[in-house]
Amino acid sequence: MSFSAWVTAHYEEKGPVKWLAFALELVAAVTLFLLMVLTCADVFGRYFFDNSVDGATELTEIGIAILVFAEMPVITWRGGHVVVDILDRMLGSVLLKVLGLLSAFLMSSSLYFLGERIYFLAARSMRRDEVTEYLELPVGLIIQYIAVMSWVTAGAMITYGVYRLLFLSRD
Amino acid sequence: MTVALIGFAILLVLIVIVRIPIAFSMGIVGFFGFAYMQGLTFDNMGDFRWTGSLSMAAKRVVDTAQEYSLSVIPLFILMGNLVTKSGLSHELYRASNAFLGHRKGGLSMATVVACGGFSAICGSSLATSATMAKVAMPPMRKYGYADSLATASIAAGGTLGILIPPSVILVIYGLLTETSIRELFAAGFIPGFMGILLYLCAVRYVVWRKPEAGPCGEKLTWPERMEALNGVWGVLILFTIVMGGIYMGIFTPTEAAGIGAGGAFLIALSRKTLTFASLFDILTDTGRTSAMLFGVLIGALIFSNFINRAGLPSDLLAFVQGLDVSPMMVIFAILGIYIVLGMVFESLSMMLLTVPIFFPLVHSLGFDLVWFGIVVVVVTEISLITPPVGMNVFVLSAVLRDVKASTIFKGVTPFWCADIVRLILVTLIAPISLFLPELLYR
Amino acid sequence: ETVMRVASWLPPTHPQNAVVWPTWGKWVEEATEGRVKIKIEYGMGHPKTMFELVEDGVVDASFSYHGYVPGRFKLTQVVEQPGLGVSAEAASIAHWRVNEKYFTKANEHDGLVLAALFTHGPGQIHMAKPIDSLSDLKGKKIRIGGGVQGEIGKRLGVTAVGAPAPKVYEMMQQGVIDGVFIPMGEQKTLRLKEVARNVVALPGGMYLGSFSMFLSPDFMDSLSEKDRKAVMSVSGEKLSALAGRAWDAGDAEGYVAAKEAGVNLNEVAADGAMAKEFKSLAKGMDDAWVSHVTDRGVDAKAALTELRSIARSYGK
Ligand code: NA
Ligand code: NA
Repeated sequence: MSFSAWVTAHYEEKGPVKWLAFALELVAAVTLFLLMVLTCADVFGRYFFDNSVDGATELTEIGIAILVFAEMPVITWRGGHVVVDILDRMLGSVLLKVLGLLSAFLMSSSLYFLGERIYFLAARSMRRDEVTEYLELPVGLIIQYIAVMSWVTAGAMITYGVYRLLFLSRD
Repeated sequence: MTVALIGFAILLVLIVIVRIPIAFSMGIVGFFGFAYMQGLTFDNMGDFRWTGSLSMAAKRVVDTAQEYSLSVIPLFILMGNLVTKSGLSHELYRASNAFLGHRKGGLSMATVVACGGFSAICGSSLATSATMAKVAMPPMRKYGYADSLATASIAAGGTLGILIPPSVILVIYGLLTETSIRELFAAGFIPGFMGILLYLCAVRYVVWRKPEAGPCGEKLTWPERMEALNGVWGVLILFTIVMGGIYMGIFTPTEAAGIGAGGAFLIALSRKTLTFASLFDILTDTGRTSAMLFGVLIGALIFSNFINRAGLPSDLLAFVQGLDVSPMMVIFAILGIYIVLGMVFESLSMMLLTVPIFFPLVHSLGFDLVWFGIVVVVVTEISLITPPVGMNVFVLSAVLRDVKASTIFKGVTPFWCADIVRLILVTLIAPISLFLPELLYR
Repeated sequence: ETVMRVASWLPPTHPQNAVVWPTWGKWVEEATEGRVKIKIEYGMGHPKTMFELVEDGVVDASFSYHGYVPGRFKLTQVVEQPGLGVSAEAASIAHWRVNEKYFTKANEHDGLVLAALFTHGPGQIHMAKPIDSLSDLKGKKIRIGGGVQGEIGKRLGVTAVGAPAPKVYEMMQQGVIDGVFIPMGEQKTLRLKEVARNVVALPGGMYLGSFSMFLSPDFMDSLSEKDRKAVMSVSGEKLSALAGRAWDAGDAEGYVAAKEAGVNLNEVAADGAMAKEFKSLAKGMDDAWVSHVTDRGVDAKAALTELRSIARSYGK
């Protein structure tokens, strides 16, 4: 199977969104795999070679943030967040779509405003030269990444997420 | 207290009726509730200084996404997914069946044990129910087991794993209440195995009342039994290394999760069940689940900031002290609330909603938070098989299209009773959960 | 009546929460004739987050350890340099005065109203297993809180493990770390006497740890001019001294608690082998710090000299 066919088979998304989903998930997958390798290397190094990986803690912290926020847009536009759906059968499909739209709007706008504040915090942290303790990596960069990904999530939800909700949901 | 209760009522409306994802509902109510506590009214919305509330929420996002101890979540889930994909469920079932299958109700008992073992590592009740349904249902049908007993043992067995460590739910509880994750894991051990034993009793009870529900299977010889064990050594060793390593202080839960995932990766590699595509699936599936869990966790932390600022925990304490009932009565009242909520909510949502509210009260009444964590997880496990909304039951009836949810719920009743017995025992006899942490760490 | 919400993060029994905040709260209440009261809130997040929570008005006041935010606070390490050899009280007063005179223009506490600067008592070595010389520490896993400790750790060749102080007990117990550099008081408040049963107390300790207490500018703006002045009148040097004194008292209690618990306490004499070893190891750290902070545009050398003379002559 060609690579492009594999991506098409693997992702329910349409058109370019499919490639965005793949790119984001590739980042997440690689990060998670490296997190696993890093933790193992750190433990093995510590117990067998008396030398742990320098800054493993910092790298782990950064790794989780990359992982979680790379997946955030995908799970959000796919409607993958935990929803309590006990009333679904009583509500009717039109009302459900309306409520879905309301959710999409609330999620996007809260992520947009949150992202704005997070971006501000990132800029402030960079202005003050805050770095990590051991590797002295700029703390602001990863905060900036979280802010940008919050915006990506908000943007993708209000566009593709809404499109998916209105035209692609199976029921 | 009124403000917090109104906030909680609004939250329930948003979650249940308006159907906003629970992470965002908690975040939004927490955000506006906190703003209200800082003086927001309808009149000053335009020129209100939102910085405080925004920064509170933003800092929770930024800090939680980079919390070192939370890396256990993706890593333990990764371990579970790797183990699931490497076909372990089959072999665990085969091994337990080799020892128990020939008894009356034996296939059911084997299912319970296999579910316990599998979900212990996998950690997800729903995944356990779905996988074991495919593995254990065909043989039970072949031997003429009643659908109600067969499905109920899978549905109930699937709930076991969220308590038997490693447990992601206990990690989240530990984070919300600042309790030692290692002690929680140790505390979950005995109640978890007690759950298996009581479920076995429930199976015995069913076949005692209705022998035709669970006829005997074939009896295997000892060499055959030993042979069946072969397939599960890898995973038994992995479990021993992970849990033993934590208990003996060789590594932290975080490191254990990394080692566990690495070990599961090697097991999967050695079984030649991994391709690049399936590895990619496992990694991304883990990533999606983790992102979802981080979402609800961040929401819960923002919500709990509001609950604390509104003074609910201290007001609740004052209220309870005014009632002049014994602390144990308070605990039973809380458990009653959980059982009722359990009809509607599944485990994670229920815990996230209630723990921030109850744990300060429980703590100030002088109870041990590790013990309370176990009690909470046991009661949330029950919610997974409590009608009308029992997630495990639903998953099962979705996987086995020809079995009605009502049949499963009927079959689950004895197991539900076994759970209630366990809940009462764990609540009244604290050492059941605290014995191991005391022995190991205190 | 205004309630000032103080976010705190050490255990409620810690001198900072049991003595410093309540005492200051009483001073504030008296100075404002009861118009401002304080209320302590726990569980607001990681200690390093307190700086920003206060700056943005999430809470009205808090305290934190400068070493938790590497890169932002460099000048505050002036008081942490090895070899000062004084009590926390003396060091805290010197810390405040020198900051007022030399460092305010560098504005490291940007966005905050500074209420006090103080230090904990002398940082000592707390280990699970005994050591006979400092070179035994090579390769050992030591929890480092940040600040000057990091440099000392590097010079000792330890494997540094970063974590906030409240996590130390669990990490010790788990064997994730072999030891920790921390003042004596934590033998009691963080219950280290149960897990770190071998203490090496160097004369004057290895280093001091710099803390600040700070107020939210928004909160201060919400007060009347009169109350603002009243709050500040019981802060500054007076509050710094109070905090230093309380942490000194905490150290004394920790010392007693460790003794009672039968902790193996090696009190190294001024001319003891380990004291000499440490002295040669720490040589030049102060100069390194001075050149490290040249980008701040202050006279660091003069500040360090003046801090030492104030601290060492205090109370004499
Ligand atoms: Na588990
Ligand atoms: Na339920």
